[in-house]
Amino acid sequence: MPSVSEEHDRLVAGFAALAIAIHILEAAFPSPLPGVKPGLANVVTVVVLMRYGWPTAAWVAGLRVLVGSLLVGTFLSPTFVMSAAGAAAALIVLAAARLCAGRHLGALGYSVAAALGHMAAQIAVARYVFIPHPAILALAPFLLTAALVFGIVSGVIAATVLVNLDRPTSQAAR
Amino acid sequence: MTVVRPADVAVVVLAALLVGAAWAALWSGGGEGETVRITAPGAQPIELTLAADRSVSVAGALGPSVLEVRGGRVRFVESPCTGRYCIHAGWLSRGGQVAACLPNGVVAEVIGSGQQFDAISF
Repeated sequence: MPSVSEEHDRLVAGFAALAIAIHILEAAFPSPLPGVKPGLANVVTVVVLMRYGWPTAAWVAGLRVLVGSLLVGTFLSPTFVMSAAGAAAALIVLAAARLCAGRHLGALGYSVAAALGHMAAQIAVARYVFIPHPAILALAPFLLTAALVFGIVSGVIAATVLVNLDRPTSQAAR
Repeated sequence: MTVVRPADVAVVVLAALLVGAAWAALWSGGGEGETVRITAPGAQPIELTLAADRSVSVAGALGPSVLEVRGGRVRFVESPCTGRYCIHAGWLSRGGQVAACLPNGVVAEVIGSGQQFDAISF
């Protein structure tokens, strides 16, 4: 009989593995602008947040960034720092959103808030750490627009996943 | 459980407003032009303020190009080139905007507090 914490570890590992797979698939896609990615791994973060709470989501997102960077080969590189800063900011935004409007918010709201927090932190890190030049901010509107669009897309996907997870038929099919 | 809740819509609207504000704040262009720098072959560049209306004729490689400053803007009025791209560039008023008559070697560049672009090619 596995203990509650073992059960939880398995849950985290399973969702993290799913997020890492999506993360790596996305890393293989070419991007029209540096820094623009669909961020579909955040679907997993939002789904886990809404079903199992913030600490579990933080574990899944943290493991995804760490293991994803190890597998893609960007660990401790600027890409990794950007990724970690974005994930940390997204988790902070998600925690704040949950505290402020927890039960009123659905997957769409969480996903959009997290996407914008993620992108804002990455722009700040790029501006102040890697390319300390004000001109970087001229890219911000493009990047934030992309974040908004992809945040809505992932939000709709996450909402759909949650609805299907809650459907009794899928429970029976398991 | 409904898929999209009212609070979600509020978050999306708020996010869209924030993104709009980012566009307005960070992508507003080069700012008002203050002077125009006119470069011609074999001469020092001249810089004219956009505050005073005037016409100026600049000697180029093919002949004189006429530029007009009026109401804080500047344009090519006449140029002895064939394409007339410089004239079709129209009025320039924002910092960083450039009109060039390449055959004649005459370039007009608006200088402002914030330069929108280093250069623009057509």
